[in-house]
Amino acid sequence: MSFREKTAWISLLSMSGIYGLYFWSVIHAGHQAGAFHFGGLLETIIALVLVQVVLTVALAIFSPREAKAPRDERDKLIELRAMRVAYSGLATSVAMACFFGAFDPPIVFNTNALLFILVTAEILRAACQIIQYRRGA
Amino acid sequence: MDAIRNEIRRLRFEHGEMTQQELAEKIGLTRQTVNAIEQGKYSPSLEAAFRIAAVFGEPLESVFHYSPE
Repeated sequence: MSFREKTAWISLLSMSGIYGLYFWSVIHAGHQAGAFHFGGLLETIIALVLVQVVLTVALAIFSPREAKAPRDERDKLIELRAMRVAYSGLATSVAMACFFGAFDPPIVFNTNALLFILVTAEILRAACQIIQYRRGA
Repeated sequence: MDAIRNEIRRLRFEHGEMTQQELAEKIGLTRQTVNAIEQGKYSPSLEAAFRIAAVFGEPLESVFHYSPE
């Protein structure tokens, strides 16, 4: 497994886990939250950055040669393809959010829905990268 | 992708059993990319193909074959 694929796994798993917990807490808070829970989001972002940095540094320590190597043409192609898929998902989801936004939901729904769309697009990007690396693409 | 075949594995063997890692370092790609090219899962850019051929001192058409199906 290449260094790039491993970092894609770190991204996929950390985002799924940490943002999963955040959205779980948002859903369970329901209308009790009353407003967008900025503190919770800040904690989530800090946790995500810490986990990703620690895991990526650990990975680089165990495979320093691969970590130093620049992305080659296949890495770039895989990244571009994954970005295209993620962008399509993002654009479609934003269009749907705009449509449902017309029904005047509370602001807490809007903010978290947009965050959910963004996180889903990032997870989709990482997943597409992993699939292509697995296939050999 | 299967339309482009290559002789990289044989050429590596004939050139002192060169490893995929050694070839990768000579042409500026990763070992995983060399492996993907060798298995026909990834078609390299023209520039990378020329670099591979140059490493083995062979013309491009001796390393890569195109067979339309």
